[in-house]
Amino acid sequence: MQTIHIYLIIAGSVLAVAGLTIAILKWGLKKNAEHAWHAFRGWLIMIPLVIGAILLGRTATIIFFGIVAIAGFTEFARATGLYRDWLITGWVYLGIAGITIVTLISPPGETLIGWYGMFMALPVYVVAGILLMPILRDKTKGQLQLIALGIVGFIYIGWMFGHLAFLANGRNAAGAILFLLFSVPLCDVAAFTFGKMFGRNKMRPNISPNKTWEGSFGALLVGMALPWIFRFSLEGFGTRELILAGLIVGVGSQLGDLSISVIKRDIGIKDMGALIEGHGGVLDRIDSLVYVAPLFFHMTRYFVGLA
Amino acid sequence: MDEWDYQPTADFDKTPLEKLSTFPRQPDMFVYGVRYVLHLFVRVWMRIYHRFRIVGREHLPLDRPFALIANHASHLDAITLLSALPLAQIQRAYPAAAKDYFFTTMPTIAFSAIVMNAMPFDRKENPRDSLALCRELLETPGHVLIIFPEGTRSPNGELGAFKPGIGFLTAGSNIAVVPCFLDGAFRAWPKGAFIPRPRKLTLRIGEPMTFAELAPDKEGARMVAGRLRDAVVSLERESLRGIES
Repeated sequence: MQTIHIYLIIAGSVLAVAGLTIAILKWGLKKNAEHAWHAFRGWLIMIPLVIGAILLGRTATIIFFGIVAIAGFTEFARATGLYRDWLITGWVYLGIAGITIVTLISPPGETLIGWYGMFMALPVYVVAGILLMPILRDKTKGQLQLIALGIVGFIYIGWMFGHLAFLANGRNAAGAILFLLFSVPLCDVAAFTFGKMFGRNKMRPNISPNKTWEGSFGALLVGMALPWIFRFSLEGFGTRELILAGLIVGVGSQLGDLSISVIKRDIGIKDMGALIEGHGGVLDRIDSLVYVAPLFFHMTRYFVGLA
Repeated sequence: MDEWDYQPTADFDKTPLEKLSTFPRQPDMFVYGVRYVLHLFVRVWMRIYHRFRIVGREHLPLDRPFALIANHASHLDAITLLSALPLAQIQRAYPAAAKDYFFTTMPTIAFSAIVMNAMPFDRKENPRDSLALCRELLETPGHVLIIFPEGTRSPNGELGAFKPGIGFLTAGSNIAVVPCFLDGAFRAWPKGAFIPRPRKLTLRIGEPMTFAELAPDKEGARMVAGRLRDAVVSLERESLRGIES
């Protein structure tokens, strides 16, 4: 059986069980399950979209993640107000399109899949371009804020998240991507469940008042276990790589979550957007992935190799 | 150090459909881009398929906000009036469209908001609020509001009575109203026809009018509607006689 089929079965069963549970709660026991119901409907759209893109192959996967990055950056730009600056916002859009293109094409004159050299170099050109905008306008007031927002928006949401798409160029593309897509939300669920059951000590009350050390520890435990459970999809991973992958997923997913929370709290908003029913915006959904994907990518590339 | 001043756009927490159906809509790069490209095609299509001709374009007071009004005989009217404006203007030109008709289902909302850049006019529940919104638009530099004072498409192509709404907006103010007569739209796309026919379209643009001397009340509004209708009728006569401006 192919890796993707195993994930398809897992996804199908999880959705079926979750749907059934919510249905029993909602219609059988007449409990208030509105929130869970909306979140479930969100998943019902997201999971087929993602798996469909991966099933279609490398090009579809890369373009799909490129569109997700564009949508995520749009939310970031709108929420921070950067969007009013069409020059910088437009330039970052071009940068994200560029990241997607160099992920798709081969280096000139070579047969490698994906232009890795340019993928790593592109941030230089995008940042240089962002710094150019105030100079073109001959303006100073408030420009540092716009420059900084543009750079964070591109580097974090365009480029760091872009690593997830670049994983599609690897030998074990579907396995690695699906591992991340499944394990990161599972860590979120673990943090939530452990927090509900044992949560006493608040972890970062100013950033995310509902998160507890107990929940975080639970997420780390589950995160460490996940690479072993999904070992079938992590080709070439030995003990060292599995432990590292566990740490990256277990710690990284929580840090990703908290980083977007810092941004939201500073702005003073609850969700980054409203595109996905029951989940808020795209960025609220991919917050952990953005953080985890590049760390996982470089760990894998260093110890296992991509191609 | 001063704190950074974030100003989220007004629609950042709305779903795409909510973004399109609220008004004023926040500027959106993708929507602007799509609209721009579509209107380029529409203009080419109008020139070729309908041999669209504009008489009196120099009357458009492009240096200030104004209302563009015309007879209403087909679904071609709004897009034709938009095509008479400079292409750069379409992002800030809004045909007032019945909310209960054009802003109900997802495809009509997407079409009305993205392609037509329509302003949802709530003629049923909140006409007052909608009028206030129109007034706000007409006081903001660079904006054009497109209104069909008959309120609905003419069933037979004949000019109907003008509703006083446009009068409430402009009586006693310096807001310019530009009367137009669109000839050929009824023949090109009458009510009930599935697609437009390749009939000739001619838009005759009259001189801008203001109604500062009229009282901003019911009576004044009715007089504005009457004078505007007279202006459109005389443009129609010019059109019949084939007078070049």
